[in-house]
Amino acid sequence: MRSVAGRSAAVLAAAALVLTGCGQGGPGGGGGKISGDKVVLGVINDQSGVYADLSGKNSVEAVNMAIADFKKKHPDSAIKDIEVVSADHQNKPDLANSKAAELYDRQQADIILDVPTSSAALAVANVAKQKKKLHINVGAATTELSGKSCNKYTFHYAYDTYMLAYGTGTTLTQEGAKNWYIVYPDYAFGQDMNKSFTAAVEAGGGNVIKSDPTPFPNDNFSTFLLKAPKLNPKPDVIGTMQAGGDLVNLVKQYNEFKLADKGVGLAVGLMFITDIHSLGVEAFEGVTFTDAWYWNFDDKNRKWADRFQAKTDTRPSFAHAGNYSAALQYLEAVERAGTDESDAVVKELEGYEFDDVFARNGKIRAEDHRMVHDAYLAKVKEKSEVSEEWDYEEIVSTIPADKAFAPVGDTQCQMG
Amino acid sequence: MSIAEMARAASGTTRGGAAERAAGARPAIRWLLLAVGLTAALAMPWVMYPPIAFDIACFALLAVSVDLLLGYTGLLSFGHAAFWGTAAYTATLVSLQTGAPFPLAVLAGMVAAAVLSVPIGYLAVKRTGIYFAMVTLAFAQMIFFLANQWRSVTGGENGLVGPARELFNMDLSDPFFFYYAGLPFILLGLLAAWRVVRSPFGRVLVAIRDNPSRARALGYPVHQYKLGVFVISASLAGLAGGLFAISHGFASLQEVYWTTSGKAVMIVVLGGMGTLWGSVIGAYLVVQLEYFLSDAGFEEIGIVTGSIFVLVVLLFRRGIWGTARHTLEKLQRRRE
Repeated sequence: MRSVAGRSAAVLAAAALVLTGCGQGGPGGGGGKISGDKVVLGVINDQSGVYADLSGKNSVEAVNMAIADFKKKHPDSAIKDIEVVSADHQNKPDLANSKAAELYDRQQADIILDVPTSSAALAVANVAKQKKKLHINVGAATTELSGKSCNKYTFHYAYDTYMLAYGTGTTLTQEGAKNWYIVYPDYAFGQDMNKSFTAAVEAGGGNVIKSDPTPFPNDNFSTFLLKAPKLNPKPDVIGTMQAGGDLVNLVKQYNEFKLADKGVGLAVGLMFITDIHSLGVEAFEGVTFTDAWYWNFDDKNRKWADRFQAKTDTRPSFAHAGNYSAALQYLEAVERAGTDESDAVVKELEGYEFDDVFARNGKIRAEDHRMVHDAYLAKVKEKSEVSEEWDYEEIVSTIPADKAFAPVGDTQCQMG
Repeated sequence: MSIAEMARAASGTTRGGAAERAAGARPAIRWLLLAVGLTAALAMPWVMYPPIAFDIACFALLAVSVDLLLGYTGLLSFGHAAFWGTAAYTATLVSLQTGAPFPLAVLAGMVAAAVLSVPIGYLAVKRTGIYFAMVTLAFAQMIFFLANQWRSVTGGENGLVGPARELFNMDLSDPFFFYYAGLPFILLGLLAAWRVVRSPFGRVLVAIRDNPSRARALGYPVHQYKLGVFVISASLAGLAGGLFAISHGFASLQEVYWTTSGKAVMIVVLGGMGTLWGSVIGAYLVVQLEYFLSDAGFEEIGIVTGSIFVLVVLLFRRGIWGTARHTLEKLQRRRE
């Protein structure tokens, strides 16, 4: 509760601190300065809407796992107490904005994690800048977070539209899919994806024959799908930038029209493993897409995924693993800095290189606060190849960290 | 039951305005209520998180502007998000581009909303009932798609971020202080709505609501009156929307989306149509509920708010304020 009494108490406390500091003569040293004697991690995401499965409450669980691991690794850390607070932004930027401000102000959150939905993410990034508190975004795709709207206290983790487009667009083109037909939902995410994809395909030496915007949301994609085989030259691949329910509809209709038999492949811009799970692997058989992380990639991932499943009864998406890693790397940075004071932690995070369950060849770029790591080109398995539940992906190739994300110079970020 | 009949029942202005007379007989009660309301408005940021208090104030003014049409003129506008959102974008843009102090930016937003409402209102008031609602909704959706597509100006889905909150070099970025800086504008808006309702103009509106044919027969230009109140209502919605955007520090597509219009109508119906102050109470409940549910751990927020709405509509058809007033009147009559 905010009150003037509370404020004057804070002022008094500050004054007292200064006085005692002077009394002891000289600076008190940088070590062991944790505000309120605890570190508070805030998680804001969609816990009731379309993104609830791919991130939602289970991301909060993943952050709790990070805390447990951190405590195990540093039993005598200066951070005695770590707390998690979370809120559901219902994909409304207004709500995300007030919730973020409230978590920073009243719940003493030192950092806010996740925040899917680009508009909500940008709103939270702005709050972080004003309050000079950290925000590590995991759930949103917009490159603006580490581009035009970048700021000193905001980091972008896991993925973005460039990574998705480069992975699928360039790699597939280099593998021989020269002609592309792109359909994208007509709003900011789709428009960005269309632009990034076209650039990626052209960079790979391919050609986008046509790209069509579709209404958003949309149930009927037959107009676009039936047109595809008749285009001249015939496209090798349809690139769809649809997500969520729209993607499900489009893929269903793609299968009904048997376009795969007509020699037109399907590549998906953004797909989460939870999408495959909810629609069934049959619907996506053979579809290519870029994934930031896959639970069954190697033993390390698998072991972590087993722990995650024990807690949540489900396999983790890359967003879950991303939140785990972001929380862990933040806590490690606090440990290294010896304080949770924002500027000191930012300094520790900038330029830091690491490997963990989520990130291989991970690095947090100091120039634009983009966190880069290896990404993967994945193919959805045939149903007959699936050996256990959630075993849906085959990793075709690894896209090295320094290629997977936009080069530093291209991001238009001016860190103020 | 038509919208006009429902509004009439809720506002309790049938039978020659018994409510008005009852209240008029006791000015003391009226002053007391006003004092309680003002104290509550001033005390809000002390007992709750200040930005939420200001959200409540903004949505209260938006709902009151909808109530001017719904409760007092019998027109259900389902497109007030267009005015709220246009003002939000305009205020943010003006603030970002010129660095003007926030009251000027908000004023610019309000003017933009008023200008926009003239052509929309001109076409919409030719229809009544559900057709009016659909026409306003259609125009609001047009504005939504415009805001979505015109990315160079509105930022598309990403929205516009970061208008300053300054006034005469005073930094108002602390929401606690911004609440008190913005509150006078909300109160002015509410006062304007109250004045409209109590004016001869407002009486004509009620006459039009109750019997448009008779109003026309008496020589009142019905369409002009409706257009007049539509523009006033849109301006107030714009005032609220501009303040909302400045207080949040950004404008997004949410502001022009139809759910915002729906929320305003829901607030009015919850609070009580044709009561003005009912909308203020409705806004308090709806905003608080939404905010509370966001970290209460429920997964089905829509089911909770929806059920509450259904219950209120079934059990208190006059809304909260309307029901309270009706019960008081009944008690009074029994005593007489």
